Amino acid sequence: MKSYDVELQDIVKDFDSGGAQIRAVDYVSVQIADGEFFALLGPSGCGKTTTLRLIAGFEQPTEGHILIRGRAMEGIPAYHRPVNTVFQDYALFPHLTVEQNIMFGLQMEGVNKREALKRAQDALEMVRLPDIGKRKPHQLSGGQQQRVALARALVKQPAVLLLDEPLGALDLKLRKSMQYELKALQRDVGITFIYVTHDQEEAITMADRIAVMNEGKMLQVGTPKEIYERPGTHFVADFIGETNFIPATLLKRENDGRGRVRLPDGSEICAALSDDLTTTSGAVTLAIRPERIGLASDVSAESATDRDLDILDAKLVDSQYIGTDTRYTLQIAEGTELVARVQNVDGRNSAAFDIGQTVKIFWHHSSTTVLDH
Amino acid sequence: MATNPPILINEHAMRRNRLVRRLGGIGLWLNPVFSYFFLWAPILVLVLFSFNQSKSVSSFTGFTTRWYSNILNNVMGAESAFSTELMLNAFRNSLFVGTVATAIATVLGTLIALGMARGTFPGKRWLDGLLFLPVVIPEITQAISLAIFFKVVFDWFDLMSGQRIFPGFHTIIAAHVTFNISYVAIVVRARLADMNPQLEEAANDLGANPWRTFWRITFPLILPGVISGALLAFTLSLDDFVITFFTSGVGTTTLPVFVYGLLKLTVTPEVNAISTIMMLLSTLLIGISLALQGRNASRT
Repeated sequence: MKSYDVELQDIVKDFDSGGAQIRAVDYVSVQIADGEFFALLGPSGCGKTTTLRLIAGFEQPTEGHILIRGRAMEGIPAYHRPVNTVFQDYALFPHLTVEQNIMFGLQMEGVNKREALKRAQDALEMVRLPDIGKRKPHQLSGGQQQRVALARALVKQPAVLLLDEPLGALDLKLRKSMQYELKALQRDVGITFIYVTHDQEEAITMADRIAVMNEGKMLQVGTPKEIYERPGTHFVADFIGETNFIPATLLKRENDGRGRVRLPDGSEICAALSDDLTTTSGAVTLAIRPERIGLASDVSAESATDRDLDILDAKLVDSQYIGTDTRYTLQIAEGTELVARVQNVDGRNSAAFDIGQTVKIFWHHSSTTVLDH
Repeated sequence: MATNPPILINEHAMRRNRLVRRLGGIGLWLNPVFSYFFLWAPILVLVLFSFNQSKSVSSFTGFTTRWYSNILNNVMGAESAFSTELMLNAFRNSLFVGTVATAIATVLGTLIALGMARGTFPGKRWLDGLLFLPVVIPEITQAISLAIFFKVVFDWFDLMSGQRIFPGFHTIIAAHVTFNISYVAIVVRARLADMNPQLEEAANDLGANPWRTFWRITFPLILPGVISGALLAFTLSLDDFVITFFTSGVGTTTLPVFVYGLLKLTVTPEVNAISTIMMLLSTLLIGISLALQGRNASRT
């Protein structure tokens, strides 16, 4: 049996806000494996930070159970839980030096001062800041404070490290380099990371698995690839990356996970059905990523007979050169436009097509996802 | 092709605006000069005349420190029954009342501030507002209400037990505590409001229980506020006349009450000297208090 580090079972959290009940977390269940880098992703106010605070023990769930290493956390205060947190604004103690900040958690465990100091210095070494132990937090840059906060949490060797948008306050360039560093660090120490972020790119590049949350609900849990390529709902498809949504009609569900759908221009194509699809026939939404759409003046007879390929006629409305890619706006029917993104490689660029020209657009069946309307 | 219309600048309005700005600048400079003069002139006169050779309070005839040495050497104008011993005794009384009242008010005021900042309980907003009441109600109202309150309580106690309690240090201290709590609580609360509440969560997260979190994190961070509140309370206690006057008993004369007693006879240069010393002491304490309040809560 696979061991789970953290299990959430039907977690509900209601807040009382001026007499009105606000449900911040709405029946969330998830199992997070030992050593996993798990991202909680969603827009602000989706309940991701509340979920993290429930695991940390700063909030108590209204309903449901939290298990850490198989042990129920009911009634166990934050200071007895085997988890540590890296706060969004770091929350370093301003009156203590960097070393004292890192030693604090060890001293609370009863580690003697000499041992604590040695481990604090090792922790600073680990985050590659060996010489700043005697400084006060306000003398450090944002990136340095971030690493000290990380060292302070990791020095306790927790079962789970909780990170609440830890890179949110850093500038873009620093954030990018910290992403790789954090990921590498996590692999080295082998501690389970639960990482809250609203940045989908950050989640995709760092996490082993992502849980997408919205309005307190966990909409989908999966690997970055699963989330990106097989979004379960309209929200997930929209939140992660850029997506074209095409209103369509589901005609028939096949047994191989595909279905026949009719597009607004009347053409019928074959498309992959989402695992979460509940509609059996009728109005659905077709999602397709811009980079999966191909463009050509004409298609060869060979391609035309490839049964895994869908081919449509479209009118080129606009093209926009954006450096690495060219973005084409295409109209497949009155009121239905698509965006296609084609990489600018030799011989293929925006000059190849004229605005107003009718072109062939094509994609592979598996690139589309049929979602509930 | 149409020609662009010429740009019109209203020269008259520009000149007028320039004049208004210049007058405004002069006004902004004059206002504080007059205000500060108004605030400080009487005090400066007092300090000046405490060094006046002549006993007159209308003309300055030369510099002397005679009145200061008179105070310390038990000499004073023939018309008053001044005694250095009595003055020092009054000063000791002031220090005693101030120290005890400050200690009690600081503990209680800090606890109230913590409760108000961290607690959630019904009626919190009301209680928060009531905290400011002793700061704004007239001192004489508070003095009379306290005097009546003590009398009622002591009468009742007399009736129940047959024992009479007389006003004394306990009543003065109780009275001083009542108004000092508010000041301490307000100063400490301001400090707590500056503090990042996540610091306490971070301490919890690192394994510190609430007790250790308070002593290792919260208290060191609010300490400048607590000291500042205590110094403010001590100064107020030291300076207080009205409330002390109404709640004191026999043998509990504090320094302001003593000075008032001297004034009943006549304003002598010695009174000016004592007042100057008191003012300097208060200014020093308030200065320290303000310096502590001004320290950035996020740096310490």
